Amino acid sequence: MKTPSSIRQFWRRGEPGVWASGAALAAMLLGIAGMLAVVAANGVVVFWPHRLCEFTLHDGSRVLGEVQQWQDVRGGGRRVQLKVGNRDLYGLDFRWIEGADVAGTRFPCDAVALERQEYGNFYGYLAGVSAADGGPGDGTGGGWAALEAAWRQARQQREALERLQRGINRNNLRMERTRLRLLRLRHRGVAEDDPRVAGLLDRQAALQREFSQLVAQSNAAAVECRRRTARFVDSHGSEEVLPVFGIVRAYRPNAMGRLAKARFYLGKVGELLFGQPREANTEGGLFPAIVGTVMMVFLMSVFSFPLGVLTAVYLREYARDGLVVRLVRIAVNNLAGVPSIVYGIFGLGFFVYGIGGRLDRWLFPERLPTPTLGTGGILWASLTLALLTVPVVIVASEEALGAIPRGIREGSLALGSTRLQTLTRLLLPMASPGIMTGFILAMARAAGEVAPLMITGVVKLAPSLPVDGTPPFVHVERKFMHLGFHIYDIGFQSPNVEAAKPMVFTTALLLVSLVLAMSGSAIWLRQRMKRRYAMGSF
Amino acid sequence: MDSRQVRRIRRNDRIARWVISVGGCGVVVCVLTMVVMIAGVALPLFRPASAVRVHARRIPADPGEAVLAVGLSDEGRTAYAVLDSGRVLFFDPASGEATQRLGLDGGRPGRGRLRSAHPHSEQTCTLNWDDGSASLIRIFLPAEDGSLGPGSAVARVLPLAAAPPESPPAADSRMWVTEQGHVLHISLLPDNRLRVRRLDADVETGDGAEAPHAEAWQEGRTEAVPFGRIIAFTADRHGEFLYAGTERGHLLRWDIGALPELRLLDAGAAWEDGTAVTVLAMVFGDVSVGVGAADGRVATWAPVRLYGPGSEPRLQRLHRLAPHGAAVTGLSPTEHDKSLLSLASDGSLQVSHMTSERLLLTLRGERPWNGFGLSLRGDGLIAVSPGGHYEVWRLRIPHPEVSWRVLFGRVHYESYDRPEFVWQSSSANDNFEAKFSLVPLIFGSLKGTFYALALTVPLALLGAVYVSQFTRPEVRNLVKPTVEVMAAVPSVVIGFLAALWLAPRVEEGIVGIFLFGLMLPLAVVIFLLLWQGVRGCRQAKRVERGWEFVALVPVLLIGGGLAWGLGPVVEGWLFAGDFRQWLFEGTGARFDQRNSIVIAFALGVAVIPVVFTIAEDALSNVPSSLRAASLALGASRWQTVRRVILPSASPGIFAGIIIGFGRAVGETMIVLMATGNTPVLSPSPFNGMRTLSANIAVEIPEAPVGGTLYRILFLSAVLLFVLTSGLNTAAELLRHRLRRKYGY
Repeated sequence: MKTPSSIRQFWRRGEPGVWASGAALAAMLLGIAGMLAVVAANGVVVFWPHRLCEFTLHDGSRVLGEVQQWQDVRGGGRRVQLKVGNRDLYGLDFRWIEGADVAGTRFPCDAVALERQEYGNFYGYLAGVSAADGGPGDGTGGGWAALEAAWRQARQQREALERLQRGINRNNLRMERTRLRLLRLRHRGVAEDDPRVAGLLDRQAALQREFSQLVAQSNAAAVECRRRTARFVDSHGSEEVLPVFGIVRAYRPNAMGRLAKARFYLGKVGELLFGQPREANTEGGLFPAIVGTVMMVFLMSVFSFPLGVLTAVYLREYARDGLVVRLVRIAVNNLAGVPSIVYGIFGLGFFVYGIGGRLDRWLFPERLPTPTLGTGGILWASLTLALLTVPVVIVASEEALGAIPRGIREGSLALGSTRLQTLTRLLLPMASPGIMTGFILAMARAAGEVAPLMITGVVKLAPSLPVDGTPPFVHVERKFMHLGFHIYDIGFQSPNVEAAKPMVFTTALLLVSLVLAMSGSAIWLRQRMKRRYAMGSF
Repeated sequence: MDSRQVRRIRRNDRIARWVISVGGCGVVVCVLTMVVMIAGVALPLFRPASAVRVHARRIPADPGEAVLAVGLSDEGRTAYAVLDSGRVLFFDPASGEATQRLGLDGGRPGRGRLRSAHPHSEQTCTLNWDDGSASLIRIFLPAEDGSLGPGSAVARVLPLAAAPPESPPAADSRMWVTEQGHVLHISLLPDNRLRVRRLDADVETGDGAEAPHAEAWQEGRTEAVPFGRIIAFTADRHGEFLYAGTERGHLLRWDIGALPELRLLDAGAAWEDGTAVTVLAMVFGDVSVGVGAADGRVATWAPVRLYGPGSEPRLQRLHRLAPHGAAVTGLSPTEHDKSLLSLASDGSLQVSHMTSERLLLTLRGERPWNGFGLSLRGDGLIAVSPGGHYEVWRLRIPHPEVSWRVLFGRVHYESYDRPEFVWQSSSANDNFEAKFSLVPLIFGSLKGTFYALALTVPLALLGAVYVSQFTRPEVRNLVKPTVEVMAAVPSVVIGFLAALWLAPRVEEGIVGIFLFGLMLPLAVVIFLLLWQGVRGCRQAKRVERGWEFVALVPVLLIGGGLAWGLGPVVEGWLFAGDFRQWLFEGTGARFDQRNSIVIAFALGVAVIPVVFTIAEDALSNVPSSLRAASLALGASRWQTVRRVILPSASPGIFAGIIIGFGRAVGETMIVLMATGNTPVLSPSPFNGMRTLSANIAVEIPEAPVGGTLYRILFLSAVLLFVLTSGLNTAAELLRHRLRRKYGY
């Protein structure tokens, strides 16, 4: 049984302090878990097809859409946020409905959700599909099967159109290259009647002809695509005729089974990873952003890793340990704590305007004042981030080298090997897990950093990838897209933030899992390494 | 071994040593020079202005012709002088040879000679003829690079407006073209009254040489003023206010917007001691008026709402500029910033900037000057002496609007009621006064950091204490890496969650958030009281061996849920159902959706892993012998922590807090996204802020390279760098001491 004295002892011994610190830890862990749960919960469900709900209101009107959330209203009652889509018809995608106004709710099986190339989703009912020649069709017939058939056909047409578009892009690139070559020749003062100039002019003319041909073809194809239409009725009963071509996906969520929904989900994830963004980045895929992020991290690694390891080896193995090295070590540690925006502004001032501007005057004087290298680009962004991550690599590598027992070096040297041999055959292999940890931490940091990129070359929509099939294959001067900046851009700069939210959450989920996987593995590596040395040193 | 091979190995070793040494040193030097380079961009902000005399010759005027006004082209290849013979003479300042002479009388030589000429902005000039008539002309200098101006190869004089002769002639008069395109003609009449005339005609077509009928002018006269003789007068280019200075040192202001009525708005002493006002000139932007005195003082005045918002604005002296040693005889604004050029009767010429109150340049000629003109771009100056000698100077005034006082002190800006710290780098119109106070930004950085640390430091430290001292090793090996991994969560994700997910919820349930602070400790206390009842049993004993935090998770969840659920109830009860309304009505404080509470949580998530990791390291590195000794002497585990472990590890813990501070100060994306980015100086937790780092991210894309804003942003980067690396060094030294003390 409890006695008052034992309670008093509980307090006197300070047990509440222990519990308070336990509560702090629990609160901290709950906070972290809560944050990850919010990202995961909101990010994972985005692509799962939601049921379409049709509310009949007391005034007799009907509203069809996806239920977003129910909310308590100040002063009593509840209201529901409905994604009604049909931005071209209603102006807004979302609508609040007072719970008291709802007379009836149903989930019609034939309700159709359309993902469109523009104007966001459409929710309504299928009324009919026109014939292939654009005629009125049989009005009643076909229904869903006809729509699917028409959609498959439209997809083929779209692919053909995209091929034409790629042709036009290639042509544009060639034209641009010819223009620049011509510019360079003229800048050098080559006469207009020089055969080189004439040749380029001929080529320009040929490309121009090819261009107009391609454009004509593509226009014709586009017109052809738009002829096949489907009629839909929205919940108010007004009819909307949409070209089948403009429909990215058509589905009837209320008629879908679990398996169909899962297939739909996977399809959307595939589009996310490999598709191009649509609708001001708020729909479609993240492929350019993923490629940009990976490419930037890769370039950063190329600069940062060798230099970081070199410096660490110098500081730990070659430099004489003294006041200077200690100061340098403190300075390097400090640099790891300098705000990233400071690196960013340095990158802008030094790399972009300093080195880039100078290289432009030297290499591409004919293109001025249009900057080639003197503007933000993936190279400068990577260099900036390399600078930012070098301290991380140095510190980690130094720690790894420092953890190797002295006896190993002495033994190796005593056996007659040189320092280089000791380094390459013993120290580096032994330190490699620690160095790897540093690399992974640096990559994780680089993948998640946005502020310095914003001012050194990230854009919301890059016309072309920094790596592609045209020589020289890797285009370090190009601007690029980035997952982190994507979040900032569509979450804060897009006109329709509410509609962009699902995309922001998926992007955030993708970025967080990428970064957490990287740093998690780094920490796992470190733990394993610690254990190895802990066993090896005794 | 083969000796050749040995030699090769040796050689490789030497090469490697060389490469590694050079490379290592190189990287270190490169990285360390970063701050030098950033500072190198910021440094020109404080470079003093300089001026060089490029030409000094005599104006090629005929003998007997006096120079009334001079001007210079931007490239400095053409200068002009308005002569009292009624002509304008264009000449090449380098050679001193006349290139062109034009008559100013519009083809009517009957006007005679000029009494005075007053140049104004955009190369316009008022001419007062000795027959009592006046005219306004614009002088077009020859285009010098083929792209500027009307593109004429020769100079032109365009008459803009003319006023008919009158008798007795006005003592002096000036004409302007107002912003609305009207002609404003102000004359000082012989009876010490000012007459304002306005011609509502479109003058830009240029046929204003023809004197319009007297009826076309709208006219008004001031009352006679009992403040002594009017010496100087001017009016703003909006045609709203007329300013006059008197010999007894009064500064007068009339509203001239509603002619013929003139309303005297201000009549105050410009100087306390009644020194005569000698010259007046509107500062660029036409809000402030520059005043020169007979004893050489120069100041600027502007209308200020002295008695709070809504009161009538009254003229007040905002800035005192550097004084001359003798009476000020000429005062002229520059045409692209808020600088003033003043000329004194001793021939000295000063360039001062109004906002920064910096004396930028003091120039003196070989002969004392009595007139000067500035090129449109403001980098060329021509000054003349009474004998017709001129000097052309090239001015280099890199960043006149910046001084330490502007960056870090209170400045009384135009149309502000009192001196304030303001950051406003740009505006829609280009004649606005740039406000570059870093104080609101530094304040914002510190404010966000303060709220974040206030929330997270107790949490992270207590958590670290628990993990390092009370829990079991297997829990520690799980929790610590988890928290460390959290350090890698991209700040853009945290910022976006804070802004789009947390901020609306905090706004809705702000009272619930406050209740968290009350309910969570309460829940723990109640739980502990209940706990006493079950402490005896075996399972409870197991919990007390390092699993307390698991038992507390549901407690916290219940407490949090209660707080959140009770929020609306309490709000309805205490704050009449709407806290934001209550706050506004009770204290007048606004409630921003993206406020410091959101920032505290968001920055907290970013800072917790840093503080936690370092503090945990410090705590668990305290030698276990200390702990064992304390426990053996009978201290409880909490007493051991409080009296033995915490004091020993305190430098390390402190280092962790410092590093967390550094991280929070420099964090960019979170504050960029989760605050409103308004640079306000309000400590209220319900307002947002703009931090130094977010300010860089917001402004640098718009900042012209090499401009003042660009350099100031680099300066704030230097500030951030110095601040964070100073803090980190301090933390590093602390940890170093700790390490030496315990020898690990």
